[in-house]
Amino acid sequence: MAKDYIQTDITSVQQPVEQANGLANAHYIDPATFAEESEAVLKSTWAGLAVGADVPNLGDAKPIQFLGMPLLLIRDKDGELRVFENICRHRGMQLLREAKTIEGAIRCPYHSWCYSTKGRLVSTPHVGGAGHNTHPSIVKDDLGLNEVRSYIWRDVVFINISGDAPEFTEVHADLIARWSEFDSPLYHGGADSRFELELAANYKLAVENYCESYHLPWVHPGLNSYSRLEDHYNIVEYGKFSGQGTRVYRQFKAEDGSAAFPDFPDLSEKWDEGAEYITVYPNVLLGVQRDHAFTIVLEPKAHNKTVEHIHLYYASDDTLAKNRAVNTRQWKEVFEEDIFVVEGMQSGRHAPTFDGGRFSPVMDEPTHCYHDWVAGRIAQHRG
Amino acid sequence: MDAALDDLILTAHAKDDRAALVTLYSRAADLAEDVDTECFFLTYAHIFALELNHPSQANLRARLVAYGRE
Repeated sequence: MAKDYIQTDITSVQQPVEQANGLANAHYIDPATFAEESEAVLKSTWAGLAVGADVPNLGDAKPIQFLGMPLLLIRDKDGELRVFENICRHRGMQLLREAKTIEGAIRCPYHSWCYSTKGRLVSTPHVGGAGHNTHPSIVKDDLGLNEVRSYIWRDVVFINISGDAPEFTEVHADLIARWSEFDSPLYHGGADSRFELELAANYKLAVENYCESYHLPWVHPGLNSYSRLEDHYNIVEYGKFSGQGTRVYRQFKAEDGSAAFPDFPDLSEKWDEGAEYITVYPNVLLGVQRDHAFTIVLEPKAHNKTVEHIHLYYASDDTLAKNRAVNTRQWKEVFEEDIFVVEGMQSGRHAPTFDGGRFSPVMDEPTHCYHDWVAGRIAQHRG
Repeated sequence: MDAALDDLILTAHAKDDRAALVTLYSRAADLAEDVDTECFFLTYAHIFALELNHPSQANLRARLVAYGRE
């Protein structure tokens, strides 16, 4: 079948970091290339959709658009998180337009077909004529909501749209093992511990910037006083994940100088002053520190538009709001400092002779690792 | 249907008062003079009860099932 766009050359990306170029401009500015890439990178892998804290109570449901697809995140009556297509199996009507708590059943606003929070079709009013609510051709067991494959890790709701990716725990086994010490309950800080940032940029640029520490002294000079470039190290697992770590993390302190937040339990000495910031490919940025963690789910709104959904978590549900507020504000300042960089690179991708750029073999390997992974997914997709 | 009850149902719809709709459609079903009319109104009452997890849900469903309508 003829394509309405020119496939990019990804061979120069999949070279050793010393020789590699980054992904071509089209992956950032061309909707058709972005659409192809999304099939390979966002739909056939485990992409981050939301966090469990978005639907904290039984029956909470939230409609979410993901790559134009209408989805519904719901915490069912037993507390299990589920993702469905947000449409009625009858005429494809959108079920929920806004977040709400489902008290009993999800009722389609069109003809009132009703579904349980587990997606089961439970009633089809008048389907056999007025007052006749069954019909032999409408088999309820066959017409439950279409469920999207999902997996929850560190409260992040990951989805596999294609339905055929290897198990999440298989794909991310090394990362799960790396952070096994943090495998303890996470408590979202609540309304004061979440915020969103809108980027006029492709989501990959946010990943690329997040992965490396090279930019820290220039873009985040406030960190230089205690967290210098040489205190950081690269985290590079080709084909899997990448990011950066620091050896000088300072525990967050309250006004009186005491620890503001309790530590996650049973951490080894490594984490006394260690912290790590890793991208779960393709679109989830995670950070772990002894006393709190954060998650950034990158929502790809379009090839040139992204929303960062940022959430802060603690080891206890008993933390002071004033401390959480200060922590949130400080992180927000840091993440806002990155916006001009990400948007500047997006603008830069319109330079026709830009060849994807080059990587510092010493400082940029985590970013190259991400490019290499994206290119690998595309190559596999193209066959 | 009784005109007053009809008005109450329209008002409840206008207010999107679904609990009231369960009650009012149940009453309309109780007043119906034939099975088809009863099941027509029972269907509305049942659907709104399902949506709300209303305590009358099981009873309404049982009535429909008994008529072979659910």
